[in-house]
Amino acid sequence: MLQAIIGGLTLGSVYALIALGFNLTYTTTRTLNFAQGDFVSVGAFVGLGTVGVLTAALGADAVGYVWLYALAAVAAALAMGVLGLPLYLAAIRPFAGKPGMSWVVSTIGFGIVLQSAALSVWGLGARMLPAPFGDEVFRVGEAGFRSQELVVLVLAFAILGAFDLAMRRTAIGRCMRAVALNRDAAALMGIDVPRVMAMAFLASSALAGLSGVLVAPILSASLFMGVIIALKGFSAAIIGGLTNPRGCMAGGLLIGLVESLTALWSAQWREIMVFLLVILVLAMAPNGLFGRKLVEKV
Amino acid sequence: MMEASVLRPAARRSALLRAAPTLGIGAALVALALTLSNDFYLYVAFMAGVYYICASGMNVLAGYAGQKSLGQAGLFAAGAYTVALLTTRLELPPALALAAAPLVAAAVGVLIALPSLRVKGPSLALVTLAFGLVVEKLVTEWTDLFGGAQGIYGIAPLALGDEPFALKHWVVLVIVLGVAVHLALSHLLNGRFGRALLALQSDEIAAECAGISVYRYKTLAFVLAAALCGLGGALVAQQNQYFNSDFVTFHLSVFILLLVLLGGAGNIYGPIAGAAILTMTEVFLAQWPSVQHFIYGAMLLFALYLMPTGVAGAIARVLPRRMAVLDGMETPPLTAMERGRAEPSAGPLLEVADVSKAFGGVVTADKVGLRLHAHRIHALIGPNGAGKSTLINILTGVITADSGTIRLAGQDITRGAPHARAASGIARTFQNLRLFGSMTVLDNVLIGAHARISVTGREEDAVAKAKAVLDFVGLGEHAGALAGSLPYGLQRRVELARALAGDPVLLLLDEPAAGLNPRETAELGQLIKRIGQLGIAVLMVEHDMGLVMRISDEIVVLDRGVVIAEGGPRDIQTNPRVIEAYLGREDSPAPDGPEVDKEERAC
Repeated sequence: MLQAIIGGLTLGSVYALIALGFNLTYTTTRTLNFAQGDFVSVGAFVGLGTVGVLTAALGADAVGYVWLYALAAVAAALAMGVLGLPLYLAAIRPFAGKPGMSWVVSTIGFGIVLQSAALSVWGLGARMLPAPFGDEVFRVGEAGFRSQELVVLVLAFAILGAFDLAMRRTAIGRCMRAVALNRDAAALMGIDVPRVMAMAFLASSALAGLSGVLVAPILSASLFMGVIIALKGFSAAIIGGLTNPRGCMAGGLLIGLVESLTALWSAQWREIMVFLLVILVLAMAPNGLFGRKLVEKV
Repeated sequence: MMEASVLRPAARRSALLRAAPTLGIGAALVALALTLSNDFYLYVAFMAGVYYICASGMNVLAGYAGQKSLGQAGLFAAGAYTVALLTTRLELPPALALAAAPLVAAAVGVLIALPSLRVKGPSLALVTLAFGLVVEKLVTEWTDLFGGAQGIYGIAPLALGDEPFALKHWVVLVIVLGVAVHLALSHLLNGRFGRALLALQSDEIAAECAGISVYRYKTLAFVLAAALCGLGGALVAQQNQYFNSDFVTFHLSVFILLLVLLGGAGNIYGPIAGAAILTMTEVFLAQWPSVQHFIYGAMLLFALYLMPTGVAGAIARVLPRRMAVLDGMETPPLTAMERGRAEPSAGPLLEVADVSKAFGGVVTADKVGLRLHAHRIHALIGPNGAGKSTLINILTGVITADSGTIRLAGQDITRGAPHARAASGIARTFQNLRLFGSMTVLDNVLIGAHARISVTGREEDAVAKAKAVLDFVGLGEHAGALAGSLPYGLQRRVELARALAGDPVLLLLDEPAAGLNPRETAELGQLIKRIGQLGIAVLMVEHDMGLVMRISDEIVVLDRGVVIAEGGPRDIQTNPRVIEAYLGREDSPAPDGPEVDKEERAC
């Protein structure tokens, strides 16, 4: 039970990271990256590649693996973050602020391009990225959990906390919130709105890439693993309330918990439960659990 | 109704004439299919047909109703597993199973519509997507029933006598079904139904107030899309005689949406273009498997940037636009037209009693009473925040009152939905224009007449009536223009025409003169007077006191949710409470008790 809760919180915090990414782009541009899953997968493989290249260049034991893993995580976040810019330019900017959901198609297209490019580099197979602190199982009473789960939990919460703080306390965070609240007013106040939007995509993609490296030691990394992770991140964002960053985080944890508690009973049914829950929540609370109701003035 | 159900010979001939090109193309395709002997090409043709059938339903949902669903794979599966289980488990005849598939899928469609109706945009995408994933996992994991990845073998195909259908027969069947679907949908979408869906996609509140039950029409769109998608799935399962869970993927859902978006959403020819192009692309790219996905992705990435309205939209823009119908059409003037309702007997047309509404602590209506009479023009005035627009919203049902009753010609409508009230004769305009901007002026007016156009009625009659309304407000020459492209003053008049088209007994105007120049305001005044002369009761919220005093028969003054004065223009101008509400009191003694209360609540 405790084990399931820790496992659930671990996965949940990864969903929360991705959900936060969705929140960033949605509030600033009213669009979402439907290719987020491919960013997660490719992020994991960039991490894998970094570890491989560095090991080959420096020799296996030149520095501790922990540092290699940390570098890999940074590299994945950077690489995916940078890729977020062409995503914004090609798939989002032409459609941002226009009615219709053309960006669904264009971002899915971007994802397919990214995925097929990655496939030609890394191939179809699944790989294992070793965990930085080994794969031993710690025991606390009845429950056993892996070191990576703790790493993910701690890192994810640190990042979520940092984002929360940054959105409230820094200039760029204020700009983003201003653009989210009222794009036109923000532009009139001298905020470079397209730049803020691009930043949002950069941050969102970086979060996705980082999530990929974080989950890779827990699940085996394949170029197809990202889709379902991102869909759960998307679910987390929506049921938490797409416009509320803290709601997105809570949504992520909730989904992770539901998933791992269902798995206690039956592993096959966990996705069914998660998505049934999503449908139910939205049928009851169309704006998500913590989303603000948008009142339309007539 | 009786008369309309018996089509006049001329109407029948014109319907046949309209169907002729489609039937001709269908026949040509059948002939072409019969000459093909290459199985690969036949299979491609079959799949293109199936894609078209799925996409045409999806076009109703995504293109017309604007509900971008990402869960169509679930409905495809519903149809496929229906034929699979019915023919293998229950050993029903294949034709019966094929007929049952769309029905089962439609029932599942209702299921998915229920939660979907409450959400919009990304949340809608997620609900439908979650539905698709649940179905995908169900058919994968529940192996006892659905066979999982092993699948279900031995699905009975259709047969000619004792011979099971050959591929060629399947192609012919798909073409016949495709043509039938196209004809049925064109009939449906190029009229009342299609207009209603486009209207609710553009603006749900305005559509609802024009008499369209947004709830019912969205559900219908979901059901249509589901049934056709289920039919597609059933055809694939029967043709293959095999179906497994690998068919049911998120990618299939995306693909079905793509067929529509790439082909041209909201264009009757869109799905045809989409199915043709995406099938071709698949076949063409299959020669280079390594780059197939890459190019496919790039296509998606740039297609809508290059062709925002899809392929069909891009083609339509190149072709010369056919300008419809209206020129030279004889229309009787509106005054002479028989009005659709009996004149209500003497006494007030609308009676509002004790209506209250509070938002949190802010009371915007406090025991408001109101009586409106046919033939008369009523003005509702009051300072900003007095609750005037709220009252209009309560009368039209956009906002539900907390308490009190509203009676229209004696009938209690307090709890009625906006579309029901519109149908019973309450029409309105909006403070901020809510036109269907990308539709023509004529279509806007036809939507206003939605509740008046019978399902079986002739489109020509509806158009003639709409034209009469346009002439009445002086917009006859702009009938074919896009509503959003007109200058502001004319747009306001289009909204008025849309409201009038519903043959209302009561017309509510929310600041009709806002943003108009003095000449336009004067014309508007004349127009409102003429509307009153038609026998319609008018209630207008207006800040232009010149206009109010000039044309009103009766004025109601509202302040902080309370009716503080009623009477003719002369009485109101001299009423001390009115002057106080607008200008404040000259000497300011301590306000009396209830006033303080209200002030506090208003804060």
